[in-house]
Amino acid sequence: MKKAYDTIIVGGGIVGCSIAFELAKRGVKDILLIERGYLASGATGRCGAGIRQQWGSKLNATLAVESTHIFENLESYTGYNYSCGLNQAGYLLIACTPKEWDQFQINLDVQHELGVESHVVDLEKDVYNYVPFINTDGIYGATFCQKDGHADPFHCTFAYAQGAKRMGVEILTYTTVESLIAEQGKIKGVHTSKGDFEASRVINCANGWAPGLAAQVGDEIPVFPERHQALVTEPVAPMGPNGPMPMVMSFHRRFYVQQSPHGSFIMGIAEDEPISFNYRSSWQFLEECCSIITNTLPALRGLRVVRQWAGLYDMSPDHCPIIDFSKNAEGLLNICGFSGHGFMIAPRVAILVANALCQQEDAIDIHMFSADRYRTGDILIEPSVV
Amino acid sequence: MRIEEHPVLDFERGEKITFTYNGQEIEAYPNETIVAALHAAGIRQLGESPELHRPRGLFCAIGNCSSCFMTVDGEPNMRVCVIKCKQGMVVESQKGKGVIRV
Repeated sequence: MKKAYDTIIVGGGIVGCSIAFELAKRGVKDILLIERGYLASGATGRCGAGIRQQWGSKLNATLAVESTHIFENLESYTGYNYSCGLNQAGYLLIACTPKEWDQFQINLDVQHELGVESHVVDLEKDVYNYVPFINTDGIYGATFCQKDGHADPFHCTFAYAQGAKRMGVEILTYTTVESLIAEQGKIKGVHTSKGDFEASRVINCANGWAPGLAAQVGDEIPVFPERHQALVTEPVAPMGPNGPMPMVMSFHRRFYVQQSPHGSFIMGIAEDEPISFNYRSSWQFLEECCSIITNTLPALRGLRVVRQWAGLYDMSPDHCPIIDFSKNAEGLLNICGFSGHGFMIAPRVAILVANALCQQEDAIDIHMFSADRYRTGDILIEPSVV
Repeated sequence: MRIEEHPVLDFERGEKITFTYNGQEIEAYPNETIVAALHAAGIRQLGESPELHRPRGLFCAIGNCSSCFMTVDGEPNMRVCVIKCKQGMVVESQKGKGVIRV
């Protein structure tokens, strides 16, 4: 194996793999991607697998809309022989307070400006056309977008990785990047569990572990790991109007639940979690999650849970990603802080990053994602996150 | 067919009862499983494979393998190899994925 590369990407999740693909597509040769476990073994493979365009900020909505267009054709885009499992059964967002409902109206305006086909759902009768068994007690209003849905995080990551490999990207799994090597303000490479690799450019996509690596060269990235748990039930026949039940999501009740194309229900809740790398499962989650979700969707009461797991959200202060060109080590790019919605915006973020690194034009200014925004106050506000 | 005598086990089957399987009346005992009663009545195909819908018979017999999923009294995905018989229960074979009644 070679010891020197042009670019090293740390992290084999959807972000690392999609950036590898987009860079290779733009003609960057000599890329090495290093992953500690197997591809998508971290947050990507542990996520709720949702694709949502109903965002409250124009920036997130733009990233999500353009990413969805890529998800819609990801197989042909990357030359992947399997299905990436996209199923656009829709997202039903429910508002449980008048204040939240007011926010939804503002969000709808933002979404409509970008051409998102979201709309208000009448709670008296129309809502049952989307989720036939929903309990509307305590719900003020709901919005629906048919183009939202589900995609398989593993297949999407493998699609990008295979496409990247075909263009010459080398992928090294089961290898831990232990530290970054920097000299005189320039990045020189990485020190790994399988030896040192040289590179003049390092892209740090290590999710919750990214700030720790960045700190080694003196970069302060205010991103903290937070455990989020999810569970999956046995598969049953489709429970939506024309196939799997759409995603039902509430920010106030802090839950999401959707039926996968396979028939199983994937669900999770947001709990008050300390900053920690702990990603063990807890029985408290199982109990609370089932209780909260069956309150809104009583028909799911009879379902048996088959599996439960946890993963890490990389939380940033404003719940928006940080894309930060290092000031302490030239050639180092830190990308993290996706705060639980990295999977659904990764395709567009990868294009943004690749365009910036290849000096190509992009409609979005990458510098607004810099960690400097927390000092200057130009933070990216997102009102709609679980 | 039921085992009547066994060198080390005693069978306390209880009083004879009946339940229906796909509309057919089946003789059973309260201390045996649904699968045992079906087996005694000559019914060997229990479930079907999820993708190709090929027949599946009794496999693990301890409630692990999902080979014997049936709908019991309206509840889908029941592992009938570990559920005991009750008088008048309605057992139906399940084609494809179970349907949750709303």
